[in-house]
Amino acid sequence: MKPGASSISAKLMLMNVVVSATVLALAVLAFFFYDLISFRQNLIRNLETAAQIVGTNSVSALLFDDQQSAATTLQALRNSPDVVAAALVANDGSTFAEYQRSENGPSVRTRALEAGKNDEDWVTGTHVLLGHRIIFQGKPAGTVYIAAELTETWRRARQYLLIACGVLLICMAAGLLISSTARRLVARPMVDLAETARRVSRERDYSVRAAPHRDKDEIAVLVEAFNEMLVQIQNRDIALNRARDQLELRVQERTAALRAANRELEAFSYTVAHDLRGPLDAVQGMVYIIESLDKEKREGERAEILEQMRQTTRNMAVLIDDLLNLSRASTAALRKEPVNLSDIVWQIAEDLKRSDPDRRVEFKIAHLPVVEADGGLIRVALDNLIRNAWKYTSRHEEACIEFGAMRVRDETVYYLKDDGAGFDPRLNDRLFQPFHRLHSRSEFPGTGIGLATVARILARHGGRIWAEGAVEKGATFWFTLKSEASAVA
Amino acid sequence: MGGTEQVRRRWDRWWSRPQGLRSLLLAGLVATSGAMPQEAGAQKPSRDDVQAAYLYNFGKFVRWPENAGHGPIEVCVAGDDSFGQVMGRLVAGEQINGRRFEVRNLDRPEGAGACAIVFVDTAEPVREDAFLAAAAGKPILTVGDAPDFLARGGMIQFLLVEDHVRFSVNLAAASRCGVGLSSELLKVAVAVTGKPETGGAK
Repeated sequence: MKPGASSISAKLMLMNVVVSATVLALAVLAFFFYDLISFRQNLIRNLETAAQIVGTNSVSALLFDDQQSAATTLQALRNSPDVVAAALVANDGSTFAEYQRSENGPSVRTRALEAGKNDEDWVTGTHVLLGHRIIFQGKPAGTVYIAAELTETWRRARQYLLIACGVLLICMAAGLLISSTARRLVARPMVDLAETARRVSRERDYSVRAAPHRDKDEIAVLVEAFNEMLVQIQNRDIALNRARDQLELRVQERTAALRAANRELEAFSYTVAHDLRGPLDAVQGMVYIIESLDKEKREGERAEILEQMRQTTRNMAVLIDDLLNLSRASTAALRKEPVNLSDIVWQIAEDLKRSDPDRRVEFKIAHLPVVEADGGLIRVALDNLIRNAWKYTSRHEEACIEFGAMRVRDETVYYLKDDGAGFDPRLNDRLFQPFHRLHSRSEFPGTGIGLATVARILARHGGRIWAEGAVEKGATFWFTLKSEASAVA
Repeated sequence: MGGTEQVRRRWDRWWSRPQGLRSLLLAGLVATSGAMPQEAGAQKPSRDDVQAAYLYNFGKFVRWPENAGHGPIEVCVAGDDSFGQVMGRLVAGEQINGRRFEVRNLDRPEGAGACAIVFVDTAEPVREDAFLAAAAGKPILTVGDAPDFLARGGMIQFLLVEDHVRFSVNLAAASRCGVGLSSELLKVAVAVTGKPETGGAK
């Protein structure tokens, strides 16, 4: 597989094998040496016993110089398979009797007991030699030497090592088996996880998921956490893309809006220039007329023209005032305060009635709660709306203007309703644009800026305005104020 | 390892004793007499020397009755005084089972009563029977080197086999007198006569 993929399982396997092999080797060594030593000690003990028996049985032979009897006694050692040679040595050091299991066997006379020692043993690589002094009634009668082969020991050692090697091999096999299981249980999920991680980072595909782990162990937690992380990354990715798309869309929208506003502004300034130019041209014409009239000295006509000039300049002043209002509505800072809409409407109605007492107009004004708003701007907006209604009901003998409010879906919607000239509902969208007039100036005077100012003021308050109406069926203006939410009852 | 310590202490004690050295000499003498007679160019032990050592060693394999007393083991040499001197030189002062070993000459058979071992030399063929008769019925080990010593009621008789000093045993005579002989001793005897047939006494 991949270079890094199998390394964990290989390490696990190596660890298993090394640990089990080390433990086993140590145990085997310990047992081996213990067994070797104890076997050797056993052998020496057995030889000591044999030497003592031989010694006891040879006392009389030694004392009475009976080599035959001594040789017979030694012959009994034939029954001990390990013993290869033995000898009885007299006190003067001469060999008294000898036994050898086979011809050319090793000599037992290579060593001698130290004076003062009654028992001694010498161990060479292949043999154990044991010396035992025969003490009879407190006096040494002679010495027995017995030599035994260590072949049995080495045979056992070989057997032991063979078994140990076998067990070691079996353990290694078991270790491999276990590690392959461990690989399936531990390494495989990790390898899968690593592969998934590699795929994610290579293809930047955050929709892939690591396969869930069967057991509820740390690896399962790891896989779960990894998957969760992928989910989060994916979600963030999606959110990021969405935000970018939205941003682009918004930029496009804003660009379009800006462009439209720019166009509108150009049109507006053109209209303003045009509308201001009209009265100026008229005044210039009248000045020319007055100059020519001067020569003929016609005082009456001159006064009439001057009156027209005054009227024209007044209209111009109104237009400029309206433009100023519109500008103020757009730029002046909002100063919120408790405002009683009903009172304002009432005052405006009273003003209108006073200015034209002949008209019969009925005002229906509801008592409304106080709202938070910029009192000055709200007064300008309501003044525009009510004067509008007053103006468009001027052709009717009797009129009714109604101001109220109603709840529509958690929102207070105010309305101003009249039963005047109304308007063509198809032109509804042009109603609140500056300089768009639905009626001719000769029919109803006006600058065409009032409703635009109202719309601007309400927009600044977070509200909006719309209208319903039909020709000669009256008009109803609906509007909302966002600040109504924090209204004081 | 208290056992070996004890052995060593006993060994040291033994080694430091002058008699110990002597007994070593004695044992060595016995061994050389048997093991390498041809090599012993220095000096081959005489028959008297060997017999004296054997007499001493017999003491280790003989059980006297309990009522025979616990005093010194007296070896009485009948007849040849020279052998008695050899004997005395070799073993006088030695001990067996805590009993001193003493040698004395026996002139008359009547004095045999207090002896533990009576040795009758071939030089005394005339008085041999008298000595045997004096010892008869008493727990006295009778040793001699006359060829018909056993037939005449003796218990142990020295003989020469291939130039080696050996001995024969008359077990019946010994048991009749209440003298117990160890099987170890019987093992190295050339011949044992008067053996009980079924192990029981006659």
